[in-house]
Amino acid sequence: MKRPSFPAAARTPLAVLGVAATLLAAGCSSGTQGSTATGGTPQKGGAVTFALPPNATPNWIFPLGTPGHLASYNSSIRQNVFLPLYAYNGSSGTVALDEKAGAAKPPVYSSDGKTVTITLKDLTWANGQKMTSRDVEFWFNLAKANKDQWGNYNKGDLPDNVAKFTTVNDTTFKLDLTQAYNPDWFTANQLTYVTPIPQAAWDVEAAGGKVGDYDRTTDGAKKVFKYLTGEAGKLAEYATNPLWKVANGPFTVKEFTTTGQVTLAKNPKYTGDDAAHLDTVTFKPFTSAQAELNVLRSGGVDYGYLPALALSQQKTLENSGYQVKPWNGWAITYIPYNFNNPDMGAVFKQLYIRQAVQTSIDQATISRVIWHDQAAPGYGPVPQQPVSKYLSADQKNNPYPYDVNKAKALITSHGWTITNNVASCTKPGTGADQCGAGIKAGTQLKFSLLTESGSTETDNTMQELQSSLSKIGIALSIKSEPLNSVLDHTPECKPSQSTCSWQLSFFGTQGSWYFPAYPSGEQIFSTDAGTNLGSYSDPAVDKLVKESTSSSSPAAMQEYSSYLAKNLPVIWMPNPAYQVSAIRNNLRGVVQDPLASMQPQRWYLAK
Amino acid sequence: MIRFLAKRLGQAIVVILLVTVIVFLLLHSVPGGPARGILGPQASPQAIAAFNHEHGFDKSLVQQYWAFLSRLLRGDLGDSYTLNQSVGSLIAQRLPKTLVLTGMSTLLALVIAVPLGVWQGRRRRGLTDYAVTAVVFIGYATPVFFLALILVIVFTEKIPILPPQAPQTQSLAGLFADSRGLILPVLAGAIATVAAFSRYMRSAVLDNLAEDYVRTARAKGASERRVVWLHIMRNSLTPIIAMLGYYLPVLFSGALVIESVFNYPGMGLLFWNAAQTSDYPILLGTVLVIALATVIGSLLADIVQALVDPRVRGAIR
Repeated sequence: MKRPSFPAAARTPLAVLGVAATLLAAGCSSGTQGSTATGGTPQKGGAVTFALPPNATPNWIFPLGTPGHLASYNSSIRQNVFLPLYAYNGSSGTVALDEKAGAAKPPVYSSDGKTVTITLKDLTWANGQKMTSRDVEFWFNLAKANKDQWGNYNKGDLPDNVAKFTTVNDTTFKLDLTQAYNPDWFTANQLTYVTPIPQAAWDVEAAGGKVGDYDRTTDGAKKVFKYLTGEAGKLAEYATNPLWKVANGPFTVKEFTTTGQVTLAKNPKYTGDDAAHLDTVTFKPFTSAQAELNVLRSGGVDYGYLPALALSQQKTLENSGYQVKPWNGWAITYIPYNFNNPDMGAVFKQLYIRQAVQTSIDQATISRVIWHDQAAPGYGPVPQQPVSKYLSADQKNNPYPYDVNKAKALITSHGWTITNNVASCTKPGTGADQCGAGIKAGTQLKFSLLTESGSTETDNTMQELQSSLSKIGIALSIKSEPLNSVLDHTPECKPSQSTCSWQLSFFGTQGSWYFPAYPSGEQIFSTDAGTNLGSYSDPAVDKLVKESTSSSSPAAMQEYSSYLAKNLPVIWMPNPAYQVSAIRNNLRGVVQDPLASMQPQRWYLAK
Repeated sequence: MIRFLAKRLGQAIVVILLVTVIVFLLLHSVPGGPARGILGPQASPQAIAAFNHEHGFDKSLVQQYWAFLSRLLRGDLGDSYTLNQSVGSLIAQRLPKTLVLTGMSTLLALVIAVPLGVWQGRRRRGLTDYAVTAVVFIGYATPVFFLALILVIVFTEKIPILPPQAPQTQSLAGLFADSRGLILPVLAGAIATVAAFSRYMRSAVLDNLAEDYVRTARAKGASERRVVWLHIMRNSLTPIIAMLGYYLPVLFSGALVIESVFNYPGMGLLFWNAAQTSDYPILLGTVLVIALATVIGSLLADIVQALVDPRVRGAIR
């Protein structure tokens, strides 16, 4: 499945809702991932405290998350205890496979892209047993029998797309896929969900039951899953329940409170090559960004963050021994057009109108002034930063640089006359200098925009948008609502439906689209995509998306990036950083992973 | 008295039932429903449909309410969608912590406000009265958020003698073991309350000073001290007691601002966060607790009032 890891910041309004309202969520323009300095003499052991986003309370440890338990901090914590087959992160400077952080050696795909052979690393569970292919089969059996309850499940994706699981030997297994897939996509967006789980300890149907091969029947797998998710619901027992002690990662759970404080301790029985330096890492919950800042200022956390309104305190924090760095997310931020809106759909379908809108948005200034450089302009469907092999030259170089005169000319040269700052169609028709198909004479360029309330940065950005558009003859009316309400009022719809009255919608700081490692667009820009809110439909895009996920051509993603950067399915907006971090100077080895995950086993304290 | 109590209890049950109906209806008229809030903006329509089915949101409102009510009668408040715990255990966890915080700050406020009000009432229109009034007004007018921040900056950064957050412990014993951490949150909560209570007390004392019984007491040769601290204070407590009764729900519903500034997860934050994520079971559960506190509070106020004031006693039959 391709559900992106959705950072806590993006999920929670004030507090869960997160970081966004309170933190300066912003993508920075520097292009660095904010990794702290390495070097210094590593100190043996030590304890580090990490501040969780406001009101983020980790609530799941079992590697198959049920809906509502998919927040990124859950998987960040879990991946250090139960290693996934593969992990992608930003430790190499861009988003790429991190071989050390996974439980298997790189996958080997057949030339037709229809089978993949995987060999596990020589790892041992904390109960002394070796990790084997059986532990992966166990995961597949549980996922298959209980896919409806697995929060990451998307129809047609994992486990549906694996026709057969074959054990080759103790450490090697083969997956027969239902069709050819792009290896990059399959490894990054599918195999990253697969996590070997200790069959010899967890394959039981009830508490105190005997271990068996129950998972090999659908009925049995359902019972085992029910038992395990039931145990996973008992937060208070995470630190003591023997089930969760059987870890294969660099850490084990030492503390897991119902209020959200989690302490991971170095796993003394870890046998891989990515052992933890620190003795313990504590993930500390906070009720608000202000509470976190109070504690940060008094030195109570080693790795915290600055709320949006506190960026002016950067110097004070730096003087008291912290580095302040933006943590950029692997995300894009945009405003969808509702192509099915009965009033403006025909207008939005005109490429020249979308070009005019995009050209009139001064993303560089919005990022600098409104976001204090904690957001970065975005020009297309692939995250603009860090630079990756998926980013096309067209998207990288911005095909529609800010130019109000050019934008205005695009409108006036297509049969629109601007009076009192509003353009009206005076030349209907489909000719080169006419308004375009479906636009009647007298149609006025009046757009309405529904936006998320509660963020100063979002409010200011929308006002800037309103002002720029008014210069090219587009009157924009803005309506702010809470995020849930914006989401509810902007569904994918048919022109005849009453729910189709929305024209443009912006989810603000909490609505950036966070991608998994492979940033393909099957979820957002394909005609039948699950979150294609504006009903954008272009056969060329469908073809490119399909190629990017199912052909083995590495150029497919670049073509997709280039095409959509120019075709403008949405209004591209500056992408805010995940958070602005404050990291204690002597805490080294930190990489601020754009996928919002963490590798605390590599953190160390310098003497 | 027994008849009175039975009548009031009957009323209380009706009130609480009505509250649940209203809250239930209001919650279900919120656009978007809980699925979006819980599953996030990226949830697919299938995931939302599955969520709605699992939690019965695809049934009629009446059926949903009935299901809620029948669970409630069995003492089950349901399970939180986001926190992996039953609402009952969440409230059991948070309520004592909140009560410690709000109870202590109210107690502190009373200990300061009652004598202060009496003292001010006796020195009305004097220089000290004006000075204290000014200070009290400033305390009253300062937003709690701002006040809490100033306390944090002064006592944890400028003069670092106190911790910047409340004790981070799960147990009540741990809370008191680390009592230094409670000083700032309790103080922040008490300051505004002192202002409110002391003003009520002051005006009640002023009213009573002009009463006949005061003159009579003085004429009978009672000492001024006895007149003020026994007769006037007791009679002036009536409005404070009434207020305290209605203050009970405030104690139970927590102090959102203080909880959020001092990293103290209590009832206020529980409710606030649940509202943000549309975690209906928590919202319903906390509203129920607060409604219960409100009716019990007003009942207690009436009873205590009767104990203090014989005139009221006569009215309760």
